[in-house]
Amino acid sequence: MSAAARVVTEMTLRELGRRRTVLILLVLLPLSFYLARRDLPGQSLRMLELGLGWAVSTLALFSTVAARDLDQRLRVAGARVRDIALGRLVAVVAIGLVLGVSYAVLVALDQDFHPYDGVLVGLGVVVVVGAPLGMALGAILPKELEGALALMVVLAVQMLADPAELLAKVLPFWAVPEIGYYTVDGAGQDYLWRGVAHAGVSVAVLCTVAAVAAAARLRLVKLPEP
Amino acid sequence: MERQVPQQWLHGFLDLCLLSLLEERRDYGLGLIQRLEEAGLGSVPGGTLYPALVRLESQGYVSASWETSVSGPRRKYFSLSATGRATVADQQRRWHDFRDGIEAVVSGQVTGVGGIGAGHGRGAK
Amino acid sequence: MRDHADEWARHLDEALVDLGIQPAVAQRLAAESVEEARVSGVAPRDLFGPAVLYARQLQGALLPAESTGSPTASAPGRTLLQLRGVTKRYGRRSVLRGVDLTVRAGEVAAIVGSNGSGKSTLLRICAGLTRASSGEVRRAGRVGYVPQDGGLAELLTAHEHFMLFGALQGMSAGRAVCTGEQLASRLAWRPTRDVLVQHLSGGTRQKLNVVLGEIHRPDLLLLDEPYQGFDHGSYVDFWHQVYGWRDAGAGVVVVTHLMHELDRADHVVELTTGAGE
Repeated sequence: MSAAARVVTEMTLRELGRRRTVLILLVLLPLSFYLARRDLPGQSLRMLELGLGWAVSTLALFSTVAARDLDQRLRVAGARVRDIALGRLVAVVAIGLVLGVSYAVLVALDQDFHPYDGVLVGLGVVVVVGAPLGMALGAILPKELEGALALMVVLAVQMLADPAELLAKVLPFWAVPEIGYYTVDGAGQDYLWRGVAHAGVSVAVLCTVAAVAAAARLRLVKLPEP
Repeated sequence: MERQVPQQWLHGFLDLCLLSLLEERRDYGLGLIQRLEEAGLGSVPGGTLYPALVRLESQGYVSASWETSVSGPRRKYFSLSATGRATVADQQRRWHDFRDGIEAVVSGQVTGVGGIGAGHGRGAK
Repeated sequence: MRDHADEWARHLDEALVDLGIQPAVAQRLAAESVEEARVSGVAPRDLFGPAVLYARQLQGALLPAESTGSPTASAPGRTLLQLRGVTKRYGRRSVLRGVDLTVRAGEVAAIVGSNGSGKSTLLRICAGLTRASSGEVRRAGRVGYVPQDGGLAELLTAHEHFMLFGALQGMSAGRAVCTGEQLASRLAWRPTRDVLVQHLSGGTRQKLNVVLGEIHRPDLLLLDEPYQGFDHGSYVDFWHQVYGWRDAGAGVVVVTHLMHELDRADHVVELTTGAGE
């Protein structure tokens, strides 16, 4: 990562670190999902993971949209799109991973899943999928409200659709229920790997979309010399 | 009779006045304020005069030196530098041109295309 | 009375430092002023006026010598911006019609017009943020853009903005902050660490905007009425800065709706609100 991208990451983290209420809600959102279904260990874990995915993608979305004017200025001054976008992505993923680790500890204390790797993978996957999802929507859609609503549609459908159906499979967080079968129901490792593969594809697709959208959103007209 | 000179009128010419006074003889802040008042230009506040002197000093037209005054404490005296002498002559010349132009307009001696001046003249000076 | 004088001197010192004067210079000026007042037998406040206002006057006097406003002795440099027949339409609404402008290094261009006449759009076209509907736009060199408002991160400090903008041009953090502070002092502003942008006054935010536009020493500066919220002193400092840039060989394009400074500009482009076609 270039020095420029590192500075973007640092500044994004500083900015977000100053928003106490946002941080509190980021913690509460997945937690509330978890607690709501705590009676069913499997469901509570899946809901926790989807909640974390939602929190991370919302964070990515709003960071991207809020920084649009600033990013445009940076571009006019000569900054590269890749530094801006990558820097922000890393910052959001970093926050997501911190949250993920915290929840992993919580789940370890609260519940009894063996082997435990499924929990870690599940939490990790939603962070790395959620971040580019939010950034992509933030770059494609003009304002926060449109982006937030689009995100809600994606996440709501993901939660409500039957994982066996095609509809759920084309949505980014399908890995959650799939890995869930491995973690909660003791299904074979192939479920774990299928989930990871789906997540890998989602990440690749979403990162590409996010990159293309960012380049388009922040494009400058190439002006010839006088 | 005390003439009321609008502060803004003086503002553009304060530097010229200070340089001219210092050309006459070196002086300190209050002394310059006094001399401007005696000339009928009203009481220039220290908050206006001293920054003007600072500006002239930073432009190199004026040099300052400290001298122990009669009553004991030091006093800052200003004098014209060589560059200052050169510029004051130039500025005085430009003032004369400006003054003559204003005077001509004010006393109705400008004859434009429509012969405005000739008709409205207020008499010879 | 001695106490009042010392207090006045302290206020003067603080005010000068706040306006970007070096602390050593500020201290000297404060001490000298108090001494002058004492020798004159007058209280400093009576001789010089309130310390804060006097500081402003001194700061203005200490700025580098004002350019005379006459055309630069050397011929203007290379062409930095060239607009020919630039138009911009949004659907059926025509915002700009046939704008021509050439700006060379060492020139100042003013874009004037009433609200809604497309001034900001024209500037955005020059910055490359918007594409002209027709006409020719050519530009050379590094460009700095200062929008009318926005373009700042509310929850970062001024220093963090310096580091951010600096780093994206390849400056180290230390150099970026140093450059930013130096540029700020020319606008009579000393950025305070740990103060978030959201807590800055409108005028100070605009000063930050200007500094961020020039921090990478661009060849061409595009400014969109950046002096909103400036007090008179800052407004004077700003235009002083504009002519400073010009004298240093940059090209400057300023959108303005105030007529006062136009006689010193090299080019004036007047935009009228067109009735849509």
